[in-house]
Amino acid sequence: MNKITKASSEVNVTSETAIEPSRRDFFRKTAAYSVSALAAASVMAPVKVDAEEHKGKKGDPAILEEKKWGTTFGYPVTHNLYGQPSPYEHNVTRRYTKLLSSGNYYASIAMCPIQDSMGIITPNGLFFNRDHGGVAEIDPNEHRLMIHGLVEKPLVLTMDELKRYPNVSRIHFIECPANGGPEWRGPQFPSIQFAKGMMSCAQWTGVYIKDILKDLGLKKEALWMLAEGVDNSHMGRTVPIDKVLDDAMIVWGQNGEALRPEQGYPIRLLVPGWEGNLCVKWLGRLEFASEPFYAKEETAKYTALKKSGKAIQHFYANEVNSVITSPCPDKPWTDLKKGDMVEIEGLAWSGMGTIEGVDISFDGGKNWVETSLKGLVLPKAWTRFSFMYKYEGKPLLLSSRARDDAGHVQPTVKHEREVMGVESVYHRNGIFTWEVTAKGEVNNVQVLS
Amino acid sequence: MFKSYHKLFLSAAVVAAVATSAIAGDTGGSRTYANGKKVIDGGDTYPVKNGKTSSYFINEKAHKTKFSKGRVPTADEIAAWNIDVMPDGTGLPEGHGTVEEGDSLYEDKCAACHFDFGTGGSGYPALQKGNAYEGQKSLTNQRVDGNDDGPIRVFGTYWPRASTLWWYIKTGMPHPAPMSLTTNEVYALVAYIISINELKIDGEELDDDYDLNREKFLKLVMPNKDGFVPKIDGPKGVENARKYFNDFKNYGNGTRCMKNCFDGKPVLARISGSGISDYQPPISEKKDLPAKKAGSEVPGKKTYEASCAVCHGTDAMGAPEVGNKKAWAAVLKKGIDKVYNNAIHGINGMPPKGGTSLPDDKIKEVINYMVGASK
Repeated sequence: MNKITKASSEVNVTSETAIEPSRRDFFRKTAAYSVSALAAASVMAPVKVDAEEHKGKKGDPAILEEKKWGTTFGYPVTHNLYGQPSPYEHNVTRRYTKLLSSGNYYASIAMCPIQDSMGIITPNGLFFNRDHGGVAEIDPNEHRLMIHGLVEKPLVLTMDELKRYPNVSRIHFIECPANGGPEWRGPQFPSIQFAKGMMSCAQWTGVYIKDILKDLGLKKEALWMLAEGVDNSHMGRTVPIDKVLDDAMIVWGQNGEALRPEQGYPIRLLVPGWEGNLCVKWLGRLEFASEPFYAKEETAKYTALKKSGKAIQHFYANEVNSVITSPCPDKPWTDLKKGDMVEIEGLAWSGMGTIEGVDISFDGGKNWVETSLKGLVLPKAWTRFSFMYKYEGKPLLLSSRARDDAGHVQPTVKHEREVMGVESVYHRNGIFTWEVTAKGEVNNVQVLS
Repeated sequence: MFKSYHKLFLSAAVVAAVATSAIAGDTGGSRTYANGKKVIDGGDTYPVKNGKTSSYFINEKAHKTKFSKGRVPTADEIAAWNIDVMPDGTGLPEGHGTVEEGDSLYEDKCAACHFDFGTGGSGYPALQKGNAYEGQKSLTNQRVDGNDDGPIRVFGTYWPRASTLWWYIKTGMPHPAPMSLTTNEVYALVAYIISINELKIDGEELDDDYDLNREKFLKLVMPNKDGFVPKIDGPKGVENARKYFNDFKNYGNGTRCMKNCFDGKPVLARISGSGISDYQPPISEKKDLPAKKAGSEVPGKKTYEASCAVCHGTDAMGAPEVGNKKAWAAVLKKGIDKVYNNAIHGINGMPPKGGTSLPDDKIKEVINYMVGASK
């Protein structure tokens, strides 16, 4: 038996033909001794587990019974050459709803399952997906980046040429500024995935635009940059020159591999911390001008209408924000017993800087305590916070409130409504509250005090 | 709290003294750029200090090197991709089209989604909601305290510039076939949409035979032209934005109250009914196998992988390798029944049924799979 195992592992590891004959000899030898051949072969066959054998034994069948995966081969290395999650994880997936479709699922959104997120990196297959004309599948050989307008030397680059610039890798969230937007007039979603799942966080690899511009001679009167995609929607957005010369990037890498088509393969704009819509996917063109462009998505949409009837336009950064991810309606506390110690965990983020701290409240924001930050704390990136709590089976109103290093603090719902009203659609960052019932169920509520 | 306020105060004071140097706090963040100007979005920037920006190390030489990659595009290439249309008419081609022509194009290409007269529905946006000058006045409406009339945000009432409509129709519509309309068709559709919004050009409403052209279009003044803050036009546009977003009051900022932050018990708003809960797929935290799609299973494949592939997956053990046409052609020379028989009773190094206790029909199923995969 041991010999068989050893021989077959040699087969996998070394494939030199020189040792082939000896293996064949071995096989034929065992064939001659049919008893040992049978014994050897039966080792490789599935073992039928006799339930009777375990009758009367006390304990967990998961421990007492032999399992298929411990008594048969797994799949060989030749299978799944691009790895897939365990099939048992199929419920960890993006989700959509008809109510957030624009008549069809080409101009629509699929939400990130942030209830299942671990750490601060979203796997590429779970990254939220917002498109305006479907997911373009671009042939990178047929794609170009053009930079023109108020530059001394306009430029066109192939993807290979673009990737010759020195690259940087940065961890940043991307958030649609409509994240939580349907809830300005009150809570709507009995799910964190839909209440806050229009965001994800990844490590992006690409080039600073300022590094490309050194060669192009940006003219003094260039104040704005149009970024435009080449997909069905040809979506454009205007970016002020300050951001272009600070940390704006053209990225082609996402968590160590090429961008997914849903994220703009082969390249997208990344303006760290700013509206996800500004991070134009399937990027084809950058044009510099002295006046803003007034694209559809920066006038008709992505403007925040205030009570005064005036709307904030060019509302660049996603403001400081946070949400408790455990517990949440999707992952409640219904399994806890009184006296259990449990970790309250959540995500905080600010498009304007680095998270400095997060407070939580158990009484809907009347009294607060500070949590611990956990893991990497980086600018314009998801940041984990954590608090150890003794579960008492009492009803709670669990709120979180983040602050950043630029001096921003999450406002109460009341304060945010006083400033913005309830018709803004975009840029909602008021304090988020979960109601935990005596049974440990979790409901989405808003505190208006 | 104190740390944050202290740092803000400190960085503001030092910036006033040394206007050009960026001050890095604990996080390396600075409210000002190297040129002394506040960060445009009201947030922080992370200047390079000691070879790092915030927590990231960088190769400073890489960012000081000037690269010359790519090539200069031809004038035709720039023209082919330069498809935007700006408020001052930059990028807007000459052409014309009447309201009547637009009406008929609308019926053909737009009404299926935007409905008759641009009333919208089924998730597709409305293109008008009556007289735009009247509708613009609704923008102060708030749906609170039982008021169900919200602000009307359609092209005529809300959009600040008409150029946006021309640009968007040309490059984004019709949704299934963008870039398919001619310049004159776009003028006609734009004329029709202006007319159903009851907008006036030079004091004139657009009747059916109104022929819109570039010159007339550029005279259209939108009712909500001044409805947006900050003002971004002109040489001061960027500075206006900087000023606006650095005044946190314009969009609200919380305070870090820790105790007794409001009077009495919290006033709660709850989801009405079951809220929006039609999710696809439905929310589930179960760790189970996905439902199998009918017909997705290849007979024998699973059994093969579990019981036979160890010998037949490669030819290393002398067994005919699945996928090797030549080897299987030789096996099949004496007919499939002989192969079944050999497999069931054993042959050469192979014990009966490969050492398994599978029923005969399962063995035959596996053989069929192996033969099929080796053709």
